[in-house]
Amino acid sequence: MLRFALRRLALALITLVILIFVIFLLTRVFPSDPARQLAGPFAPQERVDELNEQFGLDDPLWQQFGRLLVDVLTLDFGESFSQPGEQVVDLVRPALWKSTQLVLFALVMTIPISIAGGVIAARKKDTLLDRGIVTLGLASASIPEFVSGVLIQYVLGVRLGWFPAIATPPDDAGFLTTLDYLFLPALAIVTVYFGYIARITRAGTITALDSDYSRTAFMKGMTTTAVVRKHVLRNSLQPTVAVTGTQIGYLFGGLVGLEIVFNYPGLGRLIFRAATAPDFPLLQAGVITVAVIFMLCTLGADLLIAWMNPRARLNLGGQ
Amino acid sequence: MDWKRLDSARESSGPIEVDLIEAYAQGRINRRNFVKRGTIIGLSVPFMGAIIAACGDDDDSSGDTAAPGTETAGTEAPAGTEAPAGSDAPASSGGVIVVANQQGDANSGLDPVNMLDLGTYNVVSQSFEYLVGVGDDGNIADTGLASEWAPNDDATVWTFTLRENATWADGSPVTSADVAATLDRLAEANNAALGGVIDVGSTDSSDPTKAVVTLLQANGNFPVLVSIFNAQSLITPVDYSSGTTLDERPEGSGAWVLDSWDAATFTAKFVRNANWWGGETPLDGIEIRGFADIGTQVTAMQSREVDAIQQFPVIGGEGLLNDANFVVLTPPSANHRQVWFNTQQGQFTDKLVRQAIAWTLDRQQMVDTLWAGRAEIGNDHPVLSSLPFFDDSAVEQRTPDPEMAKQLLADAGVDSITAVCETGDLQEIPQLAAIIQQNAAAAGINLTVNTQSNSTFYGAAWCPGPNDSDESLPCDNAAEFGIVDYGHRPVPDVYFSSALRTGGPWNSSNFANAEFDQLLLDYQGSIDVDSQKAAVSQMQSLLWDEVPACYPYFYNFLGGHDASVTGVKATSLGHTILSGASKS
Repeated sequence: MLRFALRRLALALITLVILIFVIFLLTRVFPSDPARQLAGPFAPQERVDELNEQFGLDDPLWQQFGRLLVDVLTLDFGESFSQPGEQVVDLVRPALWKSTQLVLFALVMTIPISIAGGVIAARKKDTLLDRGIVTLGLASASIPEFVSGVLIQYVLGVRLGWFPAIATPPDDAGFLTTLDYLFLPALAIVTVYFGYIARITRAGTITALDSDYSRTAFMKGMTTTAVVRKHVLRNSLQPTVAVTGTQIGYLFGGLVGLEIVFNYPGLGRLIFRAATAPDFPLLQAGVITVAVIFMLCTLGADLLIAWMNPRARLNLGGQ
Repeated sequence: MDWKRLDSARESSGPIEVDLIEAYAQGRINRRNFVKRGTIIGLSVPFMGAIIAACGDDDDSSGDTAAPGTETAGTEAPAGTEAPAGSDAPASSGGVIVVANQQGDANSGLDPVNMLDLGTYNVVSQSFEYLVGVGDDGNIADTGLASEWAPNDDATVWTFTLRENATWADGSPVTSADVAATLDRLAEANNAALGGVIDVGSTDSSDPTKAVVTLLQANGNFPVLVSIFNAQSLITPVDYSSGTTLDERPEGSGAWVLDSWDAATFTAKFVRNANWWGGETPLDGIEIRGFADIGTQVTAMQSREVDAIQQFPVIGGEGLLNDANFVVLTPPSANHRQVWFNTQQGQFTDKLVRQAIAWTLDRQQMVDTLWAGRAEIGNDHPVLSSLPFFDDSAVEQRTPDPEMAKQLLADAGVDSITAVCETGDLQEIPQLAAIIQQNAAAAGINLTVNTQSNSTFYGAAWCPGPNDSDESLPCDNAAEFGIVDYGHRPVPDVYFSSALRTGGPWNSSNFANAEFDQLLLDYQGSIDVDSQKAAVSQMQSLLWDEVPACYPYFYNFLGGHDASVTGVKATSLGHTILSGASKS
């Protein structure tokens, strides 16, 4: 298991370097010119050249990339272009913490509900309950989270007043108060991911229930609940774990619309602001942060799958 | 008419005051404008009351129309109650009020001299104060650091008497040296309103209780230029250096002291200033909370996550307008959107092309679609119709005429125009751009709209800076076509001097017209209403013909608060004055 983990970690680091290179290329090769943007459309070329030199944008690409690698290793991305005087790290850190709070809360709500829904749908396959769960899941997953967020915000926050409509807890908010403020945006995330995870869980559970080992367990006299708990879940949840791992990365950086609706200062909104400025240091730092989270989550998912299924260690290159 | 009383008033007044009294007595201006103008030149309320009484009751029917947003409660049918510029009577004391605020420009920070947006104005002005404040009617008043002011006979020298008990947060007194230093800083920074009006060293501070300002030329509106309506003219300490921000040095003479500042969320928290000259505030503190999206602001207000909202649009704000527990504030408003053309570079250097665009605009459509009628149609100059010197016969009102536009393009020798309209993502401006795009298409003009974050728009497209080889046009690198917001000013001096005068610091049109510049000097130097009107009338005509910018409408400013909150005042420049506010 240790050797498997080390191999996966090495692969993850190599992937991360490649990812950083791709991010670097996108910001340099894609048609945007931050120096021109800052100087203005009719600025003389001398002014643009001055800004390019100031920000090191006219250095050879390999030099710029080297600087970026050093920045990543030292966690020092310099000053923000759009907020002069502010260190990029000081802007990313609080946004990352905010996103972490929201994502964790959303996952704590989503995963148990979705897995339970998928397992129940599988056990009650082809019944009204099964159809209901599948249909509801499909419908809710079709609606973007910022759309469902607006609806949830209006109904539960504004009209009924059950929860705060804006996700801005007071500075001295305790744990439960913070959860109260994060409930609505987290619920919006749940509505989207419930259908997705429940359907994958359902499919995996149905396959596992139809397998030989499940049949044997039933013939031994085990109850359905015991079969599901001891034999089925461990096998049926592997696809769920794999999918959830990749989706967590998206949750960190992709919830721009939701963060705007709830006025939540998360990583997605920060990256969006950096992309539209354009603020290269902030954009790079934000995207790399999301990339690292992606890597860690997929690595975690692989390790969890390997623990759940020893055969996977062999298939994925383990001992 | 009580002639004896009038004569007595004339005898005790200078020439500027006499001219105003005559204008009112002869019915050339109505009572509202008499009071407005009288306040500007420093007449006391009892004095003006005596003149009004001497002239008998007037009928406010001298032809001036009400400025948008000045309607008092009772003129609207919706369930929400409306108050002109403020709400009355404190409820109870203590607590904190949270205000939903526009997210300010990240680049300028809380810099009182260089700030440019309403979001930042509202934060910084909680700690610092203006020389001249605002009254309950939305006009300037002696609620600032100056308890009174008066001009000399030809309005070239203005004397401001400072409040005796005004102090900084540390208890040290506010003196004329602070005023002099502030005005010098503003002159050095070529402040939009004061550029060309004062210079460094214009203020005599030999008497610590009086700031005596000698102007570069006569100006009958000078108190407005150092009032709350020149947002950057906040009085800062004598040793305050330009570029310092409020969060770096949280000292002010105002009712509130900055307690914490989060630039990422644009949220500022203030506590009561124990040394404030106005006494103890009913509230313990206030919070100004930034929102990137106006819809989210409205939602926060609807759900009462906040107690007040700085500004909200008509479209999307229906929930508030129909909320019986929400008090709508409608301070007087000359707020408008300026659709500028870069007259020096790009495709719009020929005025015929600019006129062509102007003739495509359907202003009524804009007012109806974007403001549900809560706006006044503009006519390509920044002079509000309610102003006493507005000339409604100066030019014809432009109406959409695509054929005229096509003819103008043909006369200019232009087959087609393809251009980008630059905007920030502020309120209804992107939708305005979309309507302009649609209107222009009727004349074969192809416009695309580029909307960027408002925090970067000002520096990137509106006024990125001058051409290094020629500093005479500060906004030389402005985009060739775009839309920018202008907040309310009770007189159009800033709109003229900063946005349209040659070399004006906000002149994104790079309009350089010697005749206009001279007319502006004539207007600024005019101390009587008739002279002002003569100059302004010509300026209206010139701007209508040259079209350095289109002015499609002047819209009502809407702010408000929950009914449990009282004592809130607002200006159309985004200030939310909470020194007298309380919350039950």
